Amino acid sequence: MAMKKWEILHIPDKIPFKPDEQPTVDVFASVIEPKLTNTLVRKLNKVAPMENYRHIKRVWKKKSVEGGDFQLILILCIVGENGNELESIPEDVLELINAHQLSPFVAKVHKYAAISRDEWSEQCKLWPTSYHPPTYNIEGITGFNEEDSESIFHFMKMALELTQLGHCTGKVVNAAVIVDPSTKQVIASANDQTCQASASTMIDTSFEQKDTASSHQSDADAVAIREALFCNSSHALAENKESYTGVSCLYPWNWSEQNSIAGNAYSWHPLRHAALVAIEHASSRDRRLFPGSLDPEDQPIDQRSGTISSPNSSPAKRQKFDITKDVKVLKTCSNGGSHSEEGEKPYLCTGCDIFVAWEPCTMCAMALVHQRIRRIFYAFPNPNCGALGSVYRLQGEKSLNHHYAVFRVVLPEEPMKT
Amino acid sequence: MEGEKSLATLSFMELAVEQAKLALDSLEVPVGCVIVEDEKVIASGRNKTNETRNATRHAEMEAIDYLLEQWQKNGLSKIETEKRFSKCNLYVTCEPCIMCAAALSILGIKAVYYGCANDKFGGCGSILSLHSRNIEHLSSGGGGVERKGCYTCEGGIMASEAVSLFRSFYEQGNPNAPKPHRPVQVPQ
Repeated sequence: MAMKKWEILHIPDKIPFKPDEQPTVDVFASVIEPKLTNTLVRKLNKVAPMENYRHIKRVWKKKSVEGGDFQLILILCIVGENGNELESIPEDVLELINAHQLSPFVAKVHKYAAISRDEWSEQCKLWPTSYHPPTYNIEGITGFNEEDSESIFHFMKMALELTQLGHCTGKVVNAAVIVDPSTKQVIASANDQTCQASASTMIDTSFEQKDTASSHQSDADAVAIREALFCNSSHALAENKESYTGVSCLYPWNWSEQNSIAGNAYSWHPLRHAALVAIEHASSRDRRLFPGSLDPEDQPIDQRSGTISSPNSSPAKRQKFDITKDVKVLKTCSNGGSHSEEGEKPYLCTGCDIFVAWEPCTMCAMALVHQRIRRIFYAFPNPNCGALGSVYRLQGEKSLNHHYAVFRVVLPEEPMKT
Repeated sequence: MEGEKSLATLSFMELAVEQAKLALDSLEVPVGCVIVEDEKVIASGRNKTNETRNATRHAEMEAIDYLLEQWQKNGLSKIETEKRFSKCNLYVTCEPCIMCAAALSILGIKAVYYGCANDKFGGCGSILSLHSRNIEHLSSGGGGVERKGCYTCEGGIMASEAVSLFRSFYEQGNPNAPKPHRPVQVPQ
């Protein structure tokens, strides 16, 4: 089929900067006597912790220009909103300055941790920082081969098709398809159910059981229609926002304003966004295919493990979630067949991808963290409340216990319109 | 508010703690909550992520779903539902995660009282501050300057009780962790 150009763009963990244009913040620093280092660092960590700047080394062992000798420079505190006058230094820090006769001056440090070696080496010219290369490498960040791309486009089209099937007022809605990429099997699919005819709850179960075979059947003829519908969607989105008021993730706060047909024939739920409903379908499929849920060995869920914030829980806090390991496990168990044939129980949606038409809102994006989705593909950005780069960027929130990779699938544009 | 927590606040939080204990008894991460309207508890919920294999089934979501179902059974319209939520307070043993904090904003809840902070996932100040979302993102509805989706938030209510429940959960060696970080105590 003569395809117009589709593109898959990786949406990185933080707003990319040119290495020499990374944002900086001002700090108060002072040269110190080496023997004072431990005392001062310990005290400063208490009175002026640098929690959001963990990548910055508090002490810089700076070689002096003449060579040979070095001096120690210590960051006293971040320059606050009150400006960089010495009087704006917090009292606790001032006490230390006076007690040890320090002479504070203003220095610049980098605001964000480096995400590449290039950024890091640039940062260290200003003030030394630490650099942790990503502990995981999710397939696709460095590019997709032709087969993978085709499969991604295929599932994205499936999601786009579902956007036309809103139950309520005939409006376009958001839609989500969860896929196990190792078997190319659809695990679950759904669209927004913030407003829905009661009778159509039947669809819930039929969506769950949709598999590769049926989706391929529908593909051939559906592709043409969808292409026609969506080939200039990005233009339509920009020009005609009104037509997308049914997309829950775009207008999450407007649920009470949406018309619903009077009477009890319609049910509605402000939080039943496509991604949440798809997760629900995936979990009920999981329970159906792998019963015996009450065997605790099978139920590894770690909802809020870092919540104990006492200092003595620090070893547990340092645990890193290693995605590559889990993907490997998943791959071995799905070799030569799906989970169901092997009898292996999947852990939530580990290893699975989700295809959504619109960039998920904050609620949905965090739900996908909880459910351990591996990759998110979306077609249209969500400037109102998108949490994967537009308003927030959850893939870059280091504190979360799971991280997915995020991609935007750019649809071919109508050449006539550009 | 005065430094001292009111008796009512503490007694509602005690009920939330009771819910968290129920979760613990069912081998769930112990988080519980109650929703209060006009000083009356109208819904409660506890974490059910293991039982459902749906990691979004947090205590808050359970309680919210119960309320929406009840209100819809009683024939409440969307506008009426929104009005009811705007009179409701949530008491939860642990700071709502980013997902729940966003959900509570969407529903337009009045206030959230929580026990311990959630320094990994917290959406009411710890990681994101979804209870006080930015004014600039408020105009999408075209409804003027109304601070839709903002709610007040107060933490640290019976926090030690909440933390000690988490501790008992993880100390028994979470049998559910995929690769246990602490050894599971297997009865001989």
